[in-house]
Amino acid sequence: MVALRPVVGAARLGGRAIEGATLATVDAVLDSRVATEIADRVVDSALVRHALSRALAGPLVDEIAREVVRHRVLERTTDTVLSGDALDAIVERALEAGVVERAAARVLDGPELERVLIAALDSAAMERLVSRTIDSRLVDEAVAQLLESEELWVVVEEIAQSPAVTDAITQQSMGFADQVADGVRFRSRNADAWLERAARRALRRPPAELPPETGEP
Amino acid sequence: MSLAEERPRARDRAQAVATRVHVDPAAPPAAPTYQGLVTRTIAFALDCAVINLVAIAVGLAVGLASSVLDLPSGAEKGLVAIGGVAWFLWSAGYFVVCWSTTGQTPGDRLLHIRVRKADADRPLSAWRSFLRLVYLTLAAIPLFAGFLPILFDDRRRGLHDMLAGSVVVGTDPA
Repeated sequence: MVALRPVVGAARLGGRAIEGATLATVDAVLDSRVATEIADRVVDSALVRHALSRALAGPLVDEIAREVVRHRVLERTTDTVLSGDALDAIVERALEAGVVERAAARVLDGPELERVLIAALDSAAMERLVSRTIDSRLVDEAVAQLLESEELWVVVEEIAQSPAVTDAITQQSMGFADQVADGVRFRSRNADAWLERAARRALRRPPAELPPETGEP
Repeated sequence: MSLAEERPRARDRAQAVATRVHVDPAAPPAAPTYQGLVTRTIAFALDCAVINLVAIAVGLAVGLASSVLDLPSGAEKGLVAIGGVAWFLWSAGYFVVCWSTTGQTPGDRLLHIRVRKADADRPLSAWRSFLRLVYLTLAAIPLFAGFLPILFDDRRRGLHDMLAGSVVVGTDPA
């Protein structure tokens, strides 16, 4: 055994030299222009397209998918993307390109949002949500804050002073005496006009230009 | 900006909106509707009724009280004189106070008419109101002939209105 040691050492040394030379040769071949040309021709060849088509049509794709799932490739890839700066850069570029605005405009203009809202409003979950919201303390707080706001009372005051409301109150509170007074006013004004016309006719004077009388009481 | 600073601004905005809604700045001021002889006569008659009803009520109360009390014979004439002066003061005060404050007596209010200055939309002063009452009495003396100009004047003014610088207008929107 001792005698064989130099031989073994020489063999190992020779093997390493051959390995190094082989790798150097492969590197030289791969870096060569000819290798690049060969690779391009192979990729562009009909043979590769045929092989690829056969591979995609066969069970290889399913097998690859199963393996991707089994080895959690997607999860690992996603974790890598999320933990790096790439995602931030992608988001930043998307925001700068106006993707969000376009997406929002598309959603607002499209019928999808309306359909979703209609479905949500018709759902039992929405009814429960509204019911719980009304029963919650939030509504009480909102009402309390609303009652404390000056703007609300300005609005209330304006509504109370609006012609529509005052007319309605006047109509409601008008009693029999007011109706009689209205009748008297109307007839007295007609009598004014009649008396003046008669007086002017008697004295042959032109009729007076007076503002029109108001209508029926 | 804090909530305390925000609130007055919100209130101003609400007020501006309300003004814009209720007031039309382009709308011309409503022309006054001058009131005629019949309407004014009815209002005046109602005022006379009010004055006399109050005077009668007070006279009855004083008469009842004096019938219970044992007054000397000369006191009755004195009470009548005092009653006459009180009736005059009450009548004059009724018209002067109403015309110089709101421009409306109760009768005017019922008929929706109002006495105001001829050259401004303001009530008469107390002195001018008193003068108007005096002129009104003078206009009634010649068989109410002083009221006839109401039928012919473009602003339906009687002699007392012309002398006192007043007109009688309606309070209803034209």
